[in-house]
Amino acid sequence: MDAIITAKNISKSYGSQAAVKDLSLEIQRGEFFGFLGPNGAGKTTTIRMLTGILPPDQGEIIIQGKNHTQRKDIAKMIGVIPESRGFYHWMTGEEYLHFFAQLYGIIKPERTISQLLKQVGLLERKRAKIATYSRGMKQRLGLARALINGPKILFLDEPTLGLDPQGQEDIQKLLKTLNHEGVTIFFSSHLLPEVSALCSRIGIINHGKLIALGTLSELQEQTQSKGSLKDIFLALTGQHD
Amino acid sequence: MINYIWLKEIKAELYTWKSTAWLLIASLLFSFTSYLLLTDKELSLLDQTELLWLLAKIIIGVGLLIITIDASSVLTSEFEADTAESLFLAPITLDEIIWGKLLSIITLWLFIFITAVPYILVTSAGSSLAGAFLGYVLLLGTLGVLGFSMLILAISLLFRSSKNTLSTSLIILLALAVPALFSSTLKINIVSDFFSKINPVDAIFASLDNVLVDYQLSIAQNLQFILPLVVFCILTLILLIIAAGQFKRKGIIQNE
Repeated sequence: MDAIITAKNISKSYGSQAAVKDLSLEIQRGEFFGFLGPNGAGKTTTIRMLTGILPPDQGEIIIQGKNHTQRKDIAKMIGVIPESRGFYHWMTGEEYLHFFAQLYGIIKPERTISQLLKQVGLLERKRAKIATYSRGMKQRLGLARALINGPKILFLDEPTLGLDPQGQEDIQKLLKTLNHEGVTIFFSSHLLPEVSALCSRIGIINHGKLIALGTLSELQEQTQSKGSLKDIFLALTGQHD
Repeated sequence: MINYIWLKEIKAELYTWKSTAWLLIASLLFSFTSYLLLTDKELSLLDQTELLWLLAKIIIGVGLLIITIDASSVLTSEFEADTAESLFLAPITLDEIIWGKLLSIITLWLFIFITAVPYILVTSAGSSLAGAFLGYVLLLGTLGVLGFSMLILAISLLFRSSKNTLSTSLIILLALAVPALFSSTLKINIVSDFFSKINPVDAIFASLDNVLVDYQLSIAQNLQFILPLVVFCILTLILLIIAAGQFKRKGIIQNE
C-alpha cells in the first residue's frame, strides 16, 4: 500500500485560536477513511487544508505526490463535497455540472453529465432550476459535481446531511461502488453507524489534535471497550456522562 | 478558464434579469435627459455642443454608477451565497476568476454604451460630432469603467462583503464625481486644482468638454486628460494585484 494523502505536522490558527494543532496523517490508496470529531474540533479546517482551499500555517501536505502549494494540480485529481454548499440557483442542474465540467477542461461532457445525473437520481430533474431543488436534491447534485472529473480521491464533508434514509442508502451504495473501483474516500460525518459501516479506518480529532487513529477493533483496543463506534467516540472525546 | 467565468457572469446577469433591469433604467434616464435637452425651453437654448457635452457626462455618469452597484456584488456574491468554496476547489486560479469577472463588468458597460448609441446619434444629428462623440464616450467610459471595476474588485477581495464594498465604492465614486460635476462653480485654489488634475472623473469630463465644446478632436489634443485615466487604471491594477496577493495568503475561507 502507498500513501495517497500525507499530512505532516500541519497546523492552522484563526487569529489567536488554534483550529488544528500539529496534525499528521497518512491515507493509503483505495482506503475508505472516516474522519470524526465533535463540532468545532477542526474537521472542516483539516479537510480545507487537505483540499488546498486553506493554506496551513505550518507543515506540509502531499496529495498523490503533489505539494499543497500546487493547488491547481491537486484540484484536478480530487473531488470534494465541502461544508459550505452554495449553488448557482439560477442554473439548471445540467447547466451547473456543465459549468464545472468546463472548469475541469472536460471536452464534450454531455455523456458524463447524463451518467452522473442518473447515478445520483437527478436525471429527470436535470432541466429544472436548482432553486426548485430540495435540500436532498442539492446534496446529490453536489456529489455529482464532486465526481465530474472522475477523481482518484474524494473528500466528503457530511455528504448525506439532509438526505432521507433512502437517499442516504443510495449515496452509501454509490460511495461503496466508487471505493471498490479504486477511489480513495476521505469521509467526515456525524452519523457514526454510517461511518462504522463504510470506513475501513477511522481518525478522531478533538480540539484540533488527532487523538485516535485505526480500525474499529484497534480503536476498541485503545479504549478497552467492546462497544460501538459511538461509545468509543464519546469515551475518546470525553463526552461520556 | 477566463471565458467560462465571463460567460457564467453574463448568463447570471441575463437569467436573473439584472442586466435587463440596468439597461432599462439606463435607457429611461437617457430618454428623459434627451427629451429635456431637446424640448425644455431653457435647456433647448443651449448650444448643441453644450447639449452633447451634458448628455455625454450623463451617459458616462450613469454607466459608472450602474457599474459600481453591479460590480460590488460580482465577486462578493460568491462568498455570500457560499459558492466560493466549490468554485475555488475547481482547477482555476483566483486571477482567472478575477479577470473573468472584470470582463463581465466591461461587457455590461458595453451594453450600456450600445443602449446610449441611438441617443447620441439623435442629439448629434446635424453636427459633425457624432463620430467623435461616440468614439470618446466609448474610450473615456471604458477607461473609467476599467479603473473603477478594478478598484471595486480590490475592495471586494479585502471586505468579502457586498454591503461594505458597495458603500465604500459609492463613497469613492461620489468623492470623485461631485467635485468634477461642480468644478466650474467651485473656488479654484492649489489644492482643488491638484485634485482636479488627478481626479479620473474630472479628466473624463474635461476631455469631453475639450472634444465636444472646443473641437479638439485628436487623441494628441486630449492626451493630457487620457493620461491621468491611464495612470488611474495602472494604480487600481496595482491595488487589485496587492489585494489578490493578500487574499491568497489568507486563504479562500477566512474564518470558521
